[in-house]
Amino acid sequence: MGKNRVYKYIAAIIILIIGLSGCTSQQQAEEAKLNTITIGVQPSTHQIAEMVAMDKGWWHEIFSKYGITKTEDRLFPSGPPEMHAMLGGELDIAYVGAAPAISAISKGLDAKIIAAVQISGSALVLKPELADSYKGPNDLIGKKIATFPPGSIQDSVLKHWLKQNNIDPDKDLRIVAMGPGDAITAIEAGQIDGVFLPAPSPSKIELDKKGKMVELSGTMWPDHACCVIVVSGKLIREYPEMVKEILDIHIRATNYIYSDTDDAKKICAKKIKLSEEVIDYSLKHWDGAWITDPKEIVNSVLSFAKVQYDLGYIEKMPKQEDLFDMSFYNQIQ
Amino acid sequence: MNNLKKNKIQIFSILLFLFLWQIISQYLINDPLILPTVSEVIKAFFELSSDIPIDLAVSLLHLSTGLFFALIIGIPIGALMGWYKNADQFFDPIIEMLRPIPPLAWIPFAIIWFGLSDYSAGFIIFIGALFPILTNTYTGFRNIPKRLVEAAKVLGCKKNINLIRHVALPSSFPYILSGIRISIGIGWMCVVAAEMFGLDNYGLGNVGVGNMLWQYYSLHMMDRVALYMLILGVMGLSMDRLLKYAEANLLKWKKGTNIRQI
Repeated sequence: MGKNRVYKYIAAIIILIIGLSGCTSQQQAEEAKLNTITIGVQPSTHQIAEMVAMDKGWWHEIFSKYGITKTEDRLFPSGPPEMHAMLGGELDIAYVGAAPAISAISKGLDAKIIAAVQISGSALVLKPELADSYKGPNDLIGKKIATFPPGSIQDSVLKHWLKQNNIDPDKDLRIVAMGPGDAITAIEAGQIDGVFLPAPSPSKIELDKKGKMVELSGTMWPDHACCVIVVSGKLIREYPEMVKEILDIHIRATNYIYSDTDDAKKICAKKIKLSEEVIDYSLKHWDGAWITDPKEIVNSVLSFAKVQYDLGYIEKMPKQEDLFDMSFYNQIQ
Repeated sequence: MNNLKKNKIQIFSILLFLFLWQIISQYLINDPLILPTVSEVIKAFFELSSDIPIDLAVSLLHLSTGLFFALIIGIPIGALMGWYKNADQFFDPIIEMLRPIPPLAWIPFAIIWFGLSDYSAGFIIFIGALFPILTNTYTGFRNIPKRLVEAAKVLGCKKNINLIRHVALPSSFPYILSGIRISIGIGWMCVVAAEMFGLDNYGLGNVGVGNMLWQYYSLHMMDRVALYMLILGVMGLSMDRLLKYAEANLLKWKKGTNIRQI
């Protein structure tokens, strides 16, 4: 092969790569007309409001007014992969833990928290034989506990609580990252000593008699923030009226959970494919509460940011205005 | 082509790749989340330089466990299938039924059978590495030149065990080595999947190339994800080159049979 031919091939490859990069640029993607809204959600009782609004057709009702032809939701096992999908431009709205939202926004996610979804609501479950003799966090030393991946609410709450009790989460015990399904399988198969998961997973394990709840997250970190609604910067800037209506629907759905809990339980059970018995048991035994006002969680969210900063997950401490956009909630008050 | 020229081309190809990566990520994409730059990945390498040797050691142990069992099970079964028609008919339907199942699909059973021990990772890697070794050994045994077997028989080597040991195995060796090379490549792919769930990691805690890749993915630290991906690639490449070197030395008797060497 002659030298000139080699150079020609190299030039052709460079032009092709440049061309392809141009085609997939974010700018062009942003210019595309919005015709689908995708909402991220997790299989948890924390996020029943999203499931109710989807089941009742409330989401599509408002989005169709803006020419949106398709409204869909995507189920994620935990917050970090959900936020990764949003970073990749796959989600417009996310019901997600505040902690993964913090790490994603700190990594450049163009989005803001516009409302709170719920507080507390996770539990530490140990194998029955360990739960019976459990007296406090020191009993976890040397044990293997599964929780959601680094950057999640559960990972942050658990590590913060252990540190407050003078236990080194990296050395004194083994914390393994798992989704809810893997963690339930692992504890029920006796492969780990405990799990720290959001409702309803702890109830599923307790009902299967494979573990017992020993700590509720609200006692580990009183009234800690948990799930929030994150909306993309594109929607906030270009469709502020729609965002206001998203908030309206969220408040309506949250009120519905309290006014018709039985129906909300049914919707949740159908969505996350667990029995109504598990959902019912979970709501009787959890310490969570569904809320909407973002002002109630600001301090807690900033504390999560501090925990993540101390753990080295984020490079700089975000300010309140980096994470929240309170304007929509203030408008509807 | 002399070695110096060959090396120059290879170094040029890697440098060109890195250069294009840097230009595209820095000037065209300009978003470390979509594609971190080479310089960011190098920075991440220095930040994590004390962790990487332990991560590599643990992943290499996982890989070795899987490869070891793939070798001691794959070679004998492949040899039996290639040498004996009845064994071929017996094993073939089982092998062909299990072969298409992706190693990842075995993860739920790996957790149940082996727990979150390091054997779970070894098992996933074993599943990925077994079939290339087995099928290559089989092909090697099926392609033994008839004249070699006949010559051995004429010279008094009549028992099957002796024919396998002195004729079939050496003759199939190039195929087996090539199977091992493919298996190592697949083995590294499986390391990422196998370390996805929290393993014991030989009591060393949160370590392992695949494990850390997933951890950094959860934290959206894409420069570190890219770094661990590169480590996987470089390890795969190094082991492949090492085996090629071993192949060239061990199979000197085959020199000249491959026109690509010219």
